[in-house]
Amino acid sequence: MSAQQAITSPDEHLQQLAQPEWERLPETAGPDPTYYDRPMLKRPVWSADIPIYYFLGGAAGAALTLGAALQLVSRRKRAELRRLSELCHWTGIVGSTAGAAFLIHDLGRPSRFLYMLRVFRPTSPMNMGTWILSAAAPSGILTGLLLNRPGLPGAVGEIAGYISGVFGAALAGYTGVLVSNTAVPVWNESRRWMPVLFASSGAVAAASFLDLFYDNEAGRRVTRVFGSAARVVELAASHQVEQSASRIPRVGAPFRRGRSALLWRAAEALTAASLVFSLSRKARVAGVLGVAGSLLLRFAIHEAGNVSATDPRASFHQQRQRATAPARTLS
Amino acid sequence: MAQTLSAREARGLETRAACDDTPNRSLRKGFFTDTTLCIGCKACEVACKQWNQLPDDGLFFTGMSYDNTVALGASTWRHVAFIERPVALSNQDAGAFSWLFSSDVCKHCARAGCLESCPTGAIIRTEFDSVYVQPDICNGCGYCVVACPFGVIDRREDDGRAWKCTLCYDRLKEQMEPACAKACPTDSIKFGDLDQLRQTAQERVDRLHEQGMSEAYLYGADAATQLGTEGLNAFFLLADKPEAYNLPPEPVVPTKRVRESWLSFAFAAAGLVAAAVGSAFLSTRTQL
Repeated sequence: MSAQQAITSPDEHLQQLAQPEWERLPETAGPDPTYYDRPMLKRPVWSADIPIYYFLGGAAGAALTLGAALQLVSRRKRAELRRLSELCHWTGIVGSTAGAAFLIHDLGRPSRFLYMLRVFRPTSPMNMGTWILSAAAPSGILTGLLLNRPGLPGAVGEIAGYISGVFGAALAGYTGVLVSNTAVPVWNESRRWMPVLFASSGAVAAASFLDLFYDNEAGRRVTRVFGSAARVVELAASHQVEQSASRIPRVGAPFRRGRSALLWRAAEALTAASLVFSLSRKARVAGVLGVAGSLLLRFAIHEAGNVSATDPRASFHQQRQRATAPARTLS
Repeated sequence: MAQTLSAREARGLETRAACDDTPNRSLRKGFFTDTTLCIGCKACEVACKQWNQLPDDGLFFTGMSYDNTVALGASTWRHVAFIERPVALSNQDAGAFSWLFSSDVCKHCARAGCLESCPTGAIIRTEFDSVYVQPDICNGCGYCVVACPFGVIDRREDDGRAWKCTLCYDRLKEQMEPACAKACPTDSIKFGDLDQLRQTAQERVDRLHEQGMSEAYLYGADAATQLGTEGLNAFFLLADKPEAYNLPPEPVVPTKRVRESWLSFAFAAAGLVAAAVGSAFLSTRTQL
């Protein structure tokens, strides 16, 4: 139980606090002091493996969910949907196992990757995510091997498919919680929308993959509806993420300036273009653009975090904003 | 420290005590770093490196100040900040200049971001109420690095694991004080029982105020003044805004706000399932 301490909202507490003592101090080092502009936080140590994992895990999770949904509607021998369901599960299998490989590769001590499972720790989204991945990937593999077999194996595959569908949805979304549960200002400040953005971007990637590898008309209808909905939600969520971070201009800066902004805008443009192509029934083009957009989005978020963590003013402004929020002066 | 707690604060502390695995509260140890006594000698940095056998992390000349250590890190567990100011302290009459020195260290927060985010359970709370990384468990995932609101803990590149101040756990086991406190020639770094330290610190602030140094205040001394971390077991006496020392003004352990994120996650996952089922059904019914 060591880490499972009570979780309470600090904003509630902050409202009760008196003005901090240093507010009364004169501005000796200018109005916006830093320590020689040195970073206050540590730069995330995560390499490119991690945004690639976000992408693969997201695509795999959403594909497993779609696979389970197709199982549900194609009970009565709709062979073409059944095949698409299988393809979904195999996308999930490849994505989650390759994603896990990238995760392990990024560890400082890869041989200790199983230590992730020595505790069950709800306060750590990374721990929760490892459990989700450890449920989604094996059940996905079981489904891929057994679904559509006759008799008992087929029944087991059917059940495993639904289980993988549920854990798949969690797999696509938890990474949004993972980045939000950090001190990195841009990630932390957009915590209300990050999980929606990650889940919808995973769904875009999944639909786009399927568009690239499946060209049956009944299947195309599924990916068109699912993919278009996901693209619309992703565009809306990315707007919301940017908005919520930009309530404090310095915190939202990585979305407006530099390499992270370039990646962010490119990702948005690619997703918007893939939406247009998907609706105009050019599935292959939509698929290529959708995959590229989802991948770039993950790199944009990763890079934005790197920039934000090394900008001391982003943290200071975020916290000062909190300290001087109207709710506080009322108390 | 004579202070009345509100009902809510008392409840919070009770909850914390109930969830805590610290067997004996009287063992709670910590640092009180009185920066007004620091002379910038860096003996603490050296003593820490020596005792803990920390590798060097490169010889840099920053050119910005006497501070060539720059920041806390995986191999630097004490860091002396050098702040040159174009103003005098309020009890000085030596012209428009003053030095501030501050020996920074891991805060061993009452609610520790690194500990709560650690997915392997490598980071634990010890019987001294300090936060300790078990090197034989850490698998170097790097999550604690982004979870620390003070930017203290870091991953060592050659070694792959995360490291930070241990509050000299090995020395405490032998009833010795941590190496930095032992080496400090001005007693700027005070080590002891937390309750005692808080009392000492408050007396020191009162005394400085009497002497005309009105800037002096305590940073992170208890949950009442820093609820985001529920108080620091290594707290400070400062004489300028926290930012001047590269300390966050209102640090909050990320876990304290993560509920909003999990809520959003629940909506997102449910939405994903609904969208998948919806589009699968829709495609069987209509020609889209």
